[in-house]
Amino acid sequence: MTSPARLLRRVNWLGLGTLGLLAALWEAAVRSGAVAYQFLPAPSAIAGSAGDLVASGEMGAAVLHTLQVTLLGWALAAALGIGLGLLLGLSPTAWRYSMASIEVVRAIPPVSLVPVALLAFGFSIRMELTIIFFVSAWPVLVNTIGGVRGVRSELLDVARMLRMSRATRIAKVVLPAAMPAILVGLRLALSLSLVLAVVAEMIGNPHGLGNALMSAQQALQPEQMFAYVLAIGVLGIGLNAVVALAAARLVPSASARRPEGGRR
Amino acid sequence: MTASRSRCRPSFPPLRGLLPLGLLLLAWQLLGSESSPYFPPPSTWARGLQRLWENGTLGPAARETLVTFTLSLGLATVAGSVLGLAVGAFRRVDRAVGPTLEFARAMPPVAMVPIAVLLIGYGEAMKVAVVTLAAVWPILLNARAGVRTIDPVLVDTACSLRLGWFDTVCKCTAPALAPSIILGVRVAAPVALVITLLVEIVTRVGGLGGLIALSQRNYLSGQVYGLILVAGLFSFLVNGLVALLEGAVLRNRPRS
Repeated sequence: MTSPARLLRRVNWLGLGTLGLLAALWEAAVRSGAVAYQFLPAPSAIAGSAGDLVASGEMGAAVLHTLQVTLLGWALAAALGIGLGLLLGLSPTAWRYSMASIEVVRAIPPVSLVPVALLAFGFSIRMELTIIFFVSAWPVLVNTIGGVRGVRSELLDVARMLRMSRATRIAKVVLPAAMPAILVGLRLALSLSLVLAVVAEMIGNPHGLGNALMSAQQALQPEQMFAYVLAIGVLGIGLNAVVALAAARLVPSASARRPEGGRR
Repeated sequence: MTASRSRCRPSFPPLRGLLPLGLLLLAWQLLGSESSPYFPPPSTWARGLQRLWENGTLGPAARETLVTFTLSLGLATVAGSVLGLAVGAFRRVDRAVGPTLEFARAMPPVAMVPIAVLLIGYGEAMKVAVVTLAAVWPILLNARAGVRTIDPVLVDTACSLRLGWFDTVCKCTAPALAPSIILGVRVAAPVALVITLLVEIVTRVGGLGGLIALSQRNYLSGQVYGLILVAGLFSFLVNGLVALLEGAVLRNRPRS
């Protein structure tokens, strides 16, 4: 779409320079001993250790595990959230007789359920998936309900006038109209999925980035720890960018709306 | 954004919607086995809580969580407003620190826990640092967006009245920014609570979260469920309080 030259001009050099300057300052502070934290490695040491981890394959294995679980949990949550959201959004009776329950259960801080999942499923991938699923289904569900209930009644009238069947009406009218709201829910759910995957791995499941992070901390390997933290951050940015791009392609009007601040 | 706005603002959905939840709990109570290690019925939750209350661990733990939460949210509000103001007011600063902020924001706060533990050690300061870092973003971003949408007429008025820098901030900028900052606080409050519990669960340093993790470790599942209920109550109260605060600040203000 944009030519390389224009793309190059759009790069925020000032911003990147600041980032580089901060890293250089950090490096200088650690090297000169101005910052006397015992466990604060210099950026160069972090980069070196990240390179070692990538070369040995540890980083790749951890990233792959976390990515798989995140995407699987997210897909499950999306399927259930959109399905149930359609049902509750389209049927006023179902909405009336369940929305208050949903609001109450949703108020429970999701992380406090991690110990329950740990009790029920032990240290396993099922525990991880359950947690991710349970937490990230909510934003999809709530946003789908909101989107479906917010479909303009004129559109529904048109569908009725055209004598569309229920399935056609949902596929051709309701879903496209509710899509911007659903996409917001999906984006929130994806960042939540990654966070919860890392949490579950930190507390229980002996695989993935979260676990690698914790073992690096316990082994007092701060360079490795920072490298894993960096990997988690890059993974988060990457996933978010992919979904944002996909959303912009699917529903151009929705890309203007961003889930501001609500990240988890 | 729009969804979160409409969610809290109008009325709660009809109360008969609580029916399925009630039925579920009733069925759980009737069909569940008292000795189930995974899904104990609600009566054991109450007993677990009562035991914790009687041996005097519940009160201090709840207070500790509350202190960490309040302190962090307060710090995040101050830091977020000031930073957001600075970043929003000057285009060049925004451009310079933008990518750094974006990158820092993308870091899951959980991942900060091990780093904070190594650098600061187990304790209250570590908890506050992690929670503040997580809660500062919504406030910062909203303050930044708020500064950009300030009515230029307001600034011009301050200029023509020859208000000093300090007076301009106090009398024009701050009141004009209050709604956006409050909106940021409303997003940040649940985040701060969740991260507080999370840090406590992960590090087992005191508080409700620490108590939950401890009960889970000792397989006292009734206690775990009871404590989760308490955490839910907390988050309910926090959301209610912040909504009240928002109402109080935004009263007598024409809706923009």
